Amino acid sequence: MAPENSKDSHAMDQDVQPPPSKLLPKEAKKKKEEKKDEDLSEEDLALKQQLELYVERVQDGDPAIQKMALEAMRQEIRTATSSMTSVPKPLKFLRPHYGTLKSYYEKMVDSELKRYLADVISVLALTMSEDGDRESLRFRLQGSIGDIGSWGHEYVRNLAGEIGNEFQQRQTDEQPVDDLMDLVKQIVPFHVKHNAEPEAVDLLMEVENLELLTQHIDKGNYKRTCSYLTSFASYVPEPDDTLVLDIAYQLYCKFEKYPDALRVALRMDNTQYVKSTFAACKDLLEKQQLCYILARQGVLLELDEELADNDEQRELLQELISNSKLSEGYLTLARDLDVMEPKTPDDIYKAHLVDGRASAGASVDSARQNLAATFVNAFVNAGFVQDKLMTAPSMESSTGSSSGSWLFKNKEHGKASAAASLGLIVLWDVDGGLALVDKYLYSNDNHVVAGALLAVGIMNCGVHNECDPAYALLFESVNKEDPTIRIGAIMGLGLAYAGSQKEEVLDLLTPIVQDSKVGIEVAGFAAMALGLVYVGSCNEDVAQSIVLALMNRSEAELGEPLARFLCLGLSLLYLGKQDAVDATMEVAKTFHEKISKYCQVTLDSCAYAGTGNVLKVQALLSLCADHLEKGDSHQAPAVLGIALVAMAEELGLDMAIRSLEHLLQYGEQNIRRAVPLALGILSVSNPKISVMDTLSRLSHDTDSEVAMAATVSLGLIGAGTNNARIAGMLRNLSSYYYKDPSLLFCVRIAQGLVHMGKGLMTLNPYHSDRFLLSNVALAGLMSFLHGSLDMKSIILGKYHYVLYFLVLAMQPRMLITLDENLKPLSVPVRVGQAVDVVGQAGRPKTITGFQTHTTPVLLATGDRAELATEKYIPLSSVLEGFVILKLNPDYQQDHLSS
Amino acid sequence: MPTVSVKWQKQVFTGVEIDTEQVPYVFKCQLYDLTGVPPERQKITVKGGLLKDDGDWENLGVKEGQRLMLMGTADEIPKAPEKGPVFIEDLPEDEQGTAALGHTAGLVNLGNTCYMNSTVQCLHSVPELRLALKEYSAAVGTGIDPLLHTLTAATRDLFGELDKSLRPVAPIHFLTVLRKKYPQFAQQTNHGLYMQQDAEECWTQLLYVLSQRLQSVPQDEEEATNPVVKHLFGIELKSFIKCAESAEESSESETVYTLKCHISSEVNHLHEGLKQGLKSELEKTSPILGRSTLHVKESHINKLPPYLTVQFVRFFWKRESNQKAKILRKVGYPLVLDVFDFCTEELRDKLKGPRKVYQETEDAKVGLKKKEKEGAEGVKALQNLGTSTSDENVEMVDDAGQHPSSSEKVCAPEPEVTGIYDLVAVLTHKGRSADSGHYVAWVKQDSGKWIEFDDEQPILQKEEDITKLSGGGDWHMAYICLYKARVALPH
Repeated sequence: MAPENSKDSHAMDQDVQPPPSKLLPKEAKKKKEEKKDEDLSEEDLALKQQLELYVERVQDGDPAIQKMALEAMRQEIRTATSSMTSVPKPLKFLRPHYGTLKSYYEKMVDSELKRYLADVISVLALTMSEDGDRESLRFRLQGSIGDIGSWGHEYVRNLAGEIGNEFQQRQTDEQPVDDLMDLVKQIVPFHVKHNAEPEAVDLLMEVENLELLTQHIDKGNYKRTCSYLTSFASYVPEPDDTLVLDIAYQLYCKFEKYPDALRVALRMDNTQYVKSTFAACKDLLEKQQLCYILARQGVLLELDEELADNDEQRELLQELISNSKLSEGYLTLARDLDVMEPKTPDDIYKAHLVDGRASAGASVDSARQNLAATFVNAFVNAGFVQDKLMTAPSMESSTGSSSGSWLFKNKEHGKASAAASLGLIVLWDVDGGLALVDKYLYSNDNHVVAGALLAVGIMNCGVHNECDPAYALLFESVNKEDPTIRIGAIMGLGLAYAGSQKEEVLDLLTPIVQDSKVGIEVAGFAAMALGLVYVGSCNEDVAQSIVLALMNRSEAELGEPLARFLCLGLSLLYLGKQDAVDATMEVAKTFHEKISKYCQVTLDSCAYAGTGNVLKVQALLSLCADHLEKGDSHQAPAVLGIALVAMAEELGLDMAIRSLEHLLQYGEQNIRRAVPLALGILSVSNPKISVMDTLSRLSHDTDSEVAMAATVSLGLIGAGTNNARIAGMLRNLSSYYYKDPSLLFCVRIAQGLVHMGKGLMTLNPYHSDRFLLSNVALAGLMSFLHGSLDMKSIILGKYHYVLYFLVLAMQPRMLITLDENLKPLSVPVRVGQAVDVVGQAGRPKTITGFQTHTTPVLLATGDRAELATEKYIPLSSVLEGFVILKLNPDYQQDHLSS
Repeated sequence: MPTVSVKWQKQVFTGVEIDTEQVPYVFKCQLYDLTGVPPERQKITVKGGLLKDDGDWENLGVKEGQRLMLMGTADEIPKAPEKGPVFIEDLPEDEQGTAALGHTAGLVNLGNTCYMNSTVQCLHSVPELRLALKEYSAAVGTGIDPLLHTLTAATRDLFGELDKSLRPVAPIHFLTVLRKKYPQFAQQTNHGLYMQQDAEECWTQLLYVLSQRLQSVPQDEEEATNPVVKHLFGIELKSFIKCAESAEESSESETVYTLKCHISSEVNHLHEGLKQGLKSELEKTSPILGRSTLHVKESHINKLPPYLTVQFVRFFWKRESNQKAKILRKVGYPLVLDVFDFCTEELRDKLKGPRKVYQETEDAKVGLKKKEKEGAEGVKALQNLGTSTSDENVEMVDDAGQHPSSSEKVCAPEPEVTGIYDLVAVLTHKGRSADSGHYVAWVKQDSGKWIEFDDEQPILQKEEDITKLSGGGDWHMAYICLYKARVALPH
């Protein structure tokens, strides 16, 4: 025993050269260990002595004995069962001999035995080697080639980690990595086979060779792999994220999960992939499902012969892609939920619940409050094709004008918004809606005509019609004399063709943007419209013309509140396109100082919108830390930019909310004014209590602009939710601010937003389980927010129709299940809060706190639905919007229930 | 001759032939027959925009079986109403605030003058009085006491200003004249500040002045015997005085302007208080016994005015503190008061007719409504009708006030009082004594809303809060209530 002991202490000494301060605890520990030795059970003691014997034998001169000892040692290690909390016994008992074995190994001549020993030392290094030594890997590489999996899962995991580090090291040193790759090729199948796909993916990412993955994934595990890949893509910097998604796409395609493949293709914004997915999919029913997904994302795919089997089929599919069924589905949902009855603004204000003074019987109409009522009415009854102010048949039929009476209760430019509100009421129902709007196009009041033109644009928003009525009706008015009419037509075009990249619009509007003789407001709206139509396209021509406009305008014009729309229009072109913006960014630096910084910040925040890029968030935050002299206006868009960039995923979002809280405390007034809006977009249509409380506090702020922004943001976070708590807050605000017409207007707008579509809508640009971001919707929100940055001169001024930009983000938050003839089919579904199950073992529940409903149902932000019946199989894995069900061939009626 | 299908709204017309020889206008006329949309209102989408009336079919490349879309309706073009609405935003800035509230202006407190302000606001709420004052002119002659005239004229001017102005009015002239006529209101403290006064005193004196001046309309005899203030507010009481010892009885008639509500420890409600107020004991020389004995006086109402004033006798002279002390006891009062119980037998007989008519009309309307609404909202409808009928009747009273000429009275049946009264104004006091604290007027508007006139500040209030002014705490409590009669039209 004596030599053993000396070796023991020797090994320890060799192992660590501890600083003096660490000596004491170490020694104490050692004593403890010795003490433990004595407590060992007989069985363990036997094992310990056995192993010690093996260690001695390994150093024996006789190769046969050596081999036998090694084999035996190996056997012990492999068969040892380990629990989660403790080191396997053989490893534990071999620990003291690690140094001995290592030094003996160095002395050995190269032979098979040496490799055997390397194997064992490599395993021992799992617990012994110092951080960063990567000894386990070193000995592994010197060891025998064989099934590494037989050494256990933990060993492989450790090895994988060391490979990652080693790989990086060698990359910097520019050394070959072939031997590592051989090892990787062994590890990946091992991981994949043992339900550790995430580890496999991580390893491959470390060694920058994700392509290796595809050959190991099979039918059983592609789902888990892809879900890991797709959710993991949010955290990967570009351009690697595209690579990750690409792999996911290929896997989905390989296993013919076309709806999922399509989603990934849309996430990558890769038209080629979209087309090839569509072409690869042969099943008509599944193709129809693809069409619904495309329609939701607003991608207008022109089907040609390759993509559809025959003309009849093509027409059917094209109709689905053009989203023309949206109105029908929405109304089905509304009828099912029994909310078809139109609501008046008073039903929303609920003045009887407000105490005392709030609403005195005003003897004189207030134009501002009527305008607010117009917007509330429009938002609340959006898409229902009927309301009580604009479309209701009048009592006295003698005048014949059904809605004329309300329309003319608005003043001047208010009439434009009133006429345009009709467009929102008939949203998505182009055929029926045009008939209602038609008569206003002939009015002799320019404001009414402008509103009617805008209405045409609004109702066409998000839907496409083969006859293209919006363009036909609008294009002539774009160049009319009256600026109001021009703006109406231009904005109408922008809304109707947002995201479509329609060339006619380009040809029509670029001359207006460049024409320095037209007012800056017309040019601003034209730039916005172009930005919307070409959103995220990086179109050179559009960019050029807006840049020219920004360069040629005078200083005074660039100081106008609407000049910001030129910047925003330019920025929208690069929405989410990251470094594609760089060239334009350089140009923006040469703009007049009045607008240059504003433009740069907007460009930057748009380009990185929805990417979660932490560096950008930091850059924008540091911009906000500057204390500026008066006159600079770029900090407000920077605050919005933080929200835009960080909204990509939940973690970044929560961090951004916290950072904004700091800005509120330390920021200057111009920053504080933008913070509520940033909070609003961060949890749009997602009434989180914490955000709600912050905004509620800010809505009583002494600075009226902060209060206004907070009030409107309360509307944003509650948009389309009918949230009772927000509704109550807003009612209280309406009584609190009853004497302040501007703030009361904001309260009313917020009330309208909260009850948007009677609670059937959402403004959230993310959909499909928060996987896809709708560029158009985000652009709509941004236009609204930038408009709200200067509340007084835009929304409270003449340009309140900027509020209608929100229509771009309005979508029903529904799940409608369809049968094979695309008729609504009622099935039970469980709806509950979504749980993140990515990378979890087994088959965890995907939702929690669920309730069972029958479709159609409403889905709140963060909700997920799953079928509660086995009778049908959904064609889309994400149950949102329109989902086609097909009968499950394996379904057997439950005898008990029947 | 290609055939196309035309989509119009949600209909599709198939197989429409196009005669490419003719101008498109002809095609539009074809569609006019199908849809009824006049050709000039038709908008048809074709390649490159809309179809022009004189376009060339060749260039448009219309294909066989193509689907065209027709937009347009035959709806009338909406026209702006000839007179656009007036918006608050159009008004001068200083008028915006009050216009939004929808009531008349407040009165500026000129230094402890809230007693006067609240009195004026309450009286101002009587439309008949406003009208009578409007017609008052100096032509009648100043009479014996010129101050009576100046004060009446000052009231007239102040009322006129209240009607017109949208900003708080400062009643400086009125106050000066009032103080001149009644120097007690000009009392000052040692520090030279004007003192708070009793609103009831102000109310009584003001009505007295008005009753003196507004009655003399010489040319019409009937009118002269029916002076405005007495007609509006005068309550004719018939009292029986009974000697407790000799059982001798005498009766007398008098006209009072207010009914007193006595507050004793048994009184919890206006009704009880009024009953007590109409009964009193007094010492009087009995002609039979030849000495002063205790008499019991019991009064009944013999004639009811259109406006009934009720005063809560909350203040009494407290000798030890030398001031008018206040009884804080809670005395409830109703929004609708029925004084039938306090009337003489003769008046009750007279009232029975109108009350029956009133009840019948009300029942009839309720019954009718019940049929329509199938009884579900019967109760609600009843309430609504209650107010609506009273509104109609109010108008009738207005008419009577506006056209007092005898000829009209003959043809139009005069509305008769029913003994049922609606609360229209409350003057409240807050504080511990009549000469201190704060007076406020709560006035019901024509729209049915209640406004609290706290000097220059009008505040909207809810009806249910009005009945909460009944005392029992330190909140405002009713001092004078003004009730308005519900009337019935005889068949």
